[in-house]
Amino acid sequence: MSQVNTGSGVSRRNFVKGAGAATAAGLGVAALPRAARGAEADGKPNYGMLIDVRRCIGCQACSVACKAEFDVPLGATRSWVEYIEKGEYPNIGRSFLPRLCNQCNHPACVRVCPTGATWKRAEDGIVVVDPDICIGCKYCVHACPYDARFINPVTGSADKCDFCLHRVSQGLEPACVETCIGRARVFGDLNDPDSEISRQIASNPVTVLRQGQGTEPNVYYIAADHSDEHDVAHRGRYVDVTTHRREEARR
Amino acid sequence: MTEGLLWGMPVIGYLFLAGVGAGAMTVSASMYLRGGSETRGMHVDTARYGAFLAPIPIMVGCGLLIFELGSFEVGNWLKWLNLYKVINLSPMSIGTWLLTVTIGVSVVYAYTYVHNAPGLPDDRRYALRRALSWAAVPLGVATAVYTGILLGAMPSRPFWNSPILALLFLVSSLSTGVAVILLARALIHRKDADSGAERHFEKSGYILTASDTLLIGFEIMVIFLFLMFGYLTVGDVKEAVQVVLAGGSLATLFWLGFVVIGLVVPVLVELYYVMPKLLYHREYVAPRGVEIVVSVVVLFGGFLLRYIVVIAGQITGPVGV
Ligand code: SF4
Ligand code: SF4
Ligand code: SF4
Repeated sequence: MSQVNTGSGVSRRNFVKGAGAATAAGLGVAALPRAARGAEADGKPNYGMLIDVRRCIGCQACSVACKAEFDVPLGATRSWVEYIEKGEYPNIGRSFLPRLCNQCNHPACVRVCPTGATWKRAEDGIVVVDPDICIGCKYCVHACPYDARFINPVTGSADKCDFCLHRVSQGLEPACVETCIGRARVFGDLNDPDSEISRQIASNPVTVLRQGQGTEPNVYYIAADHSDEHDVAHRGRYVDVTTHRREEARR
Repeated sequence: MTEGLLWGMPVIGYLFLAGVGAGAMTVSASMYLRGGSETRGMHVDTARYGAFLAPIPIMVGCGLLIFELGSFEVGNWLKWLNLYKVINLSPMSIGTWLLTVTIGVSVVYAYTYVHNAPGLPDDRRYALRRALSWAAVPLGVATAVYTGILLGAMPSRPFWNSPILALLFLVSSLSTGVAVILLARALIHRKDADSGAERHFEKSGYILTASDTLLIGFEIMVIFLFLMFGYLTVGDVKEAVQVVLAGGSLATLFWLGFVVIGLVVPVLVELYYVMPKLLYHREYVAPRGVEIVVSVVVLFGGFLLRYIVVIAGQITGPVGV
């Protein structure tokens, strides 16, 4: 498949009105209290993902599918799986943490963009980047608390997971979801209480990553291991994280 | 140490140079306004140094930023102009417009000193210079503060995400602004035959050095508060501040380079020359050589501050996943 840019499925907006529209769009979804954002709110979907870590075997099929879908250049990743190893022999464990953009309700990345090149879509809650507007200032890459963004070395613009907008808008599932052999990834509409994702979130203990950052992620996890080497080192326990990215450290 | 970081030397250089330029402009305009309301203000010669020194570092600094853009790296040389198609609440957007205005004002402000005889009563650009001085002070302060807000806006970068960082950059900018003026004066000034003018020159020198002493003293206090609250708090900020505390990877550079060489040594030397006049009203005399060395060291400290802060912010992050 040839290069598919993030912007390909994005309806081009009036450039000058962009900033205002993006802000209004972000607020429209995010400022409402959770309960008011039910299915009846405005009939628009709010896409999210649930990752059941118990079903993940760390095979990286999702990482590969994502790379192939977007021809993501070498060294960059929209999605990756971290391996978290803990303990001393014989009491050891390893768990997996698939990662992607959280399509946050309060996207820290959008708030800092000086050109209006990135915004949260009012119609489905997906946070997108228009590579034709983005100047590659890297401000959003810094601002995202999840390392979800990178500068695409081919376009020179910010790039990240867009929930496979070009597939989702055609009624298909995202590439990583479709390929997942353990069915660990569930994609769907969080506004629809009858969707599989909503039902699973309602009936399982779920968490999001770095909740303290105030971003309100739309990617939920079941049984995620939140231990981090830096945090756990003080307690003298061994934790080793392999991120499988070019930048090896989480920061 | 900047390999592999998103923001490297160009951003460090920009923060430093924009700070020096903004500082020099603020100091120049306040010296000019302080010099009295007659056409020939008492400090007009010194103010002129500052006015000429301000625009170039700001413009070079902004130019450096363009080299750091991803779009520039792939050959979209003019894409940065997209910054001017939007204005939004991103600190970088507000900063872009602010810097544009500041550069414009600094250039015209400098122009009011060109080929002009500011000492003579027929100084035609007097009114313009005076009006621009009133604009230059707040614009210079805003530019210096903005560089700190730019970095401070992100909770994902706990080392930067501090309300005091902008204040630190402001004080450092003013101090490096004073230093660059002192340096230029010491290097360029020829003794004036007119003893009155020479006295004014010495007096300006005293005011600059005394202000710098105060600014550096204040800077030490701000740094102390920055570190102390980083140490006393918990979580992300505490972890991030560790990189400049004992055992941290930037500790030696920070303490030896920035604090000792960049702040403590120059402030002590300046105090040594300022004290006799301040306490006993003796004549203020500082040898040229000393002025040159102290100014260079202060500028070096200002650069190191930006260098350390920019790196420290990028090698630390929130703890926990
Ligand atoms: S995960 Fe990062 S890039 Fe994605 S929406 Fe949230 S802040 Fe933005
Ligand atoms: S890199 Fe692009 S999308 Fe990110 S903040 Fe800069 S202009 Fe906006
Ligand atoms: S949703 Fe699409 S872009 Fe996002 S991680 Fe999955 S495959 Fe990659």
